[in-house]
Amino acid sequence: MTRALGTPIQGVTLYSFTRAFHAREYDLEGLVRKVAAEGYGPGLEIIGFSSFRGFPAVDDAYAGWFRDLVAETGLVTTSLAVNADIGIHRDRLLTQDELIEYMTLQIKAAAQLGFPIARVQISITPDSMEALAPIAEAHGVTLALEVHADQYASHPRILALRDRYEQVGSPFLGFTMDWGATVTGFAPSLLEAYRRRGASDELLAKVVDLWNTFYEQGPPADQAEHGQRFGAFIGLAAQNGRPDLGIDFGINGTGLFGPARVDDWLEIMPWIRHVHGKFFGIDETGEEPSVPVRDLVRLLVEQGYSGAISSEYEGWHWNHWQSPFDIIRGEQAVQRSAAEAAGSRMITDAAEARRILDSHLAQPVRG
Amino acid sequence: MIPDRIIEQGTLTTTGARSAVEVRLPWYRALPGSCIAGAKLRIDGVEAPTESLRWQMNGREFGFDELVDETGEWWFPTDSAVLSGDLPVEADDAEHQVDVDLKLYIPYIIIGDGETLHIEEHDRKTMKAVQA
Repeated sequence: MTRALGTPIQGVTLYSFTRAFHAREYDLEGLVRKVAAEGYGPGLEIIGFSSFRGFPAVDDAYAGWFRDLVAETGLVTTSLAVNADIGIHRDRLLTQDELIEYMTLQIKAAAQLGFPIARVQISITPDSMEALAPIAEAHGVTLALEVHADQYASHPRILALRDRYEQVGSPFLGFTMDWGATVTGFAPSLLEAYRRRGASDELLAKVVDLWNTFYEQGPPADQAEHGQRFGAFIGLAAQNGRPDLGIDFGINGTGLFGPARVDDWLEIMPWIRHVHGKFFGIDETGEEPSVPVRDLVRLLVEQGYSGAISSEYEGWHWNHWQSPFDIIRGEQAVQRSAAEAAGSRMITDAAEARRILDSHLAQPVRG
Repeated sequence: MIPDRIIEQGTLTTTGARSAVEVRLPWYRALPGSCIAGAKLRIDGVEAPTESLRWQMNGREFGFDELVDETGEWWFPTDSAVLSGDLPVEADDAEHQVDVDLKLYIPYIIIGDGETLHIEEHDRKTMKAVQA
């Protein structure tokens, strides 16, 4: 192989600590300081509508305060997760013009706050991405559309975006790879949560069997097949006397644990500008039991990826008994070990991370 | 989702004829008023009449019909809103069972042809009522 090995940048999204923030245990400043003190960075990702009051309106004084905080704590802002709220009006969807305006405000906010990437979501069509490209360029913010279960890299909607990116040729259009699209098992911590809600071992064994069957079949070809799988989880719960758990099985079994294979990412690899290191827990051996973190890091390293990986802990939805801070520490140790095993390393130094992220992206943020 | 945190413990207040409780967003990101599609308030199994319900957020009070077009006021994840309705409760030492149902639209998830995902969440907590 002639390609240089990648050196991904370690980081975290504050989404991992949703429960602690929501419980008012930490405010935004407290969480940022905690991330720095515990060494979960240097990469820092934030969801605009979660953490910034009044978002996407950001005044200069606030942006200055935030940038100073990031500088003082020695972190590196990577991605600002933004949302395409096309269903914000009760009676209709946003028009194309309204959507562009809605997203433009958030792209401006990303630049103002010092984020070189804005994570956008699947509800943005190829036409809208194309229309947003010059706006992203004007603000020096790369738009990285998240590939998240129940989609996956070779899904027709993602390939349509990729093909449009190729046509448009803007370095400001790309993807965020979310590891939840390529999961290898139903998360054991979620099974434990169902057990605590009184689900029998027999029922949970059937849930695992059903998910494994879908894994063998590979990801759903289209939305119809996705719907059938969702329905199969609901049916299983109903047949086993726990209809109350059916929708939960379906949402998690299809929307969080995507069954594509790791090498599916090769379909869009050159356009991956950012990564969500999605995971659900760390077991007693120190490994992630249902997300192939080691294989995913190896793939990124071998493909020369030198952008950020935001550790994204999703188990907080159901895991009330373990600290998300300990779990993040455990998953990042797996990432570092995997990068070393692949002959490279994760970047943990802030100055090095800034330099590498700048060269990974087209150009530095112009905020 | 964080439905177990919808009702804020110890926040039940009453004027005698009307009762109110503080509620939290069971979601990870702020939502505008237009996405707060409805609520129910029950105390000791008795439901407040729908037309009597009021929603207070960011220092403003709304009927649910007024929230439909409200895209200016947002419910931030660490803020409490106040749900009130016509429901007589005694501010005595007795424990009252409070139930809140909440229906929210998730504006970035479109599930069908122009249809926005909505979630329905419920919480129940037991607490004393305090005179407002």
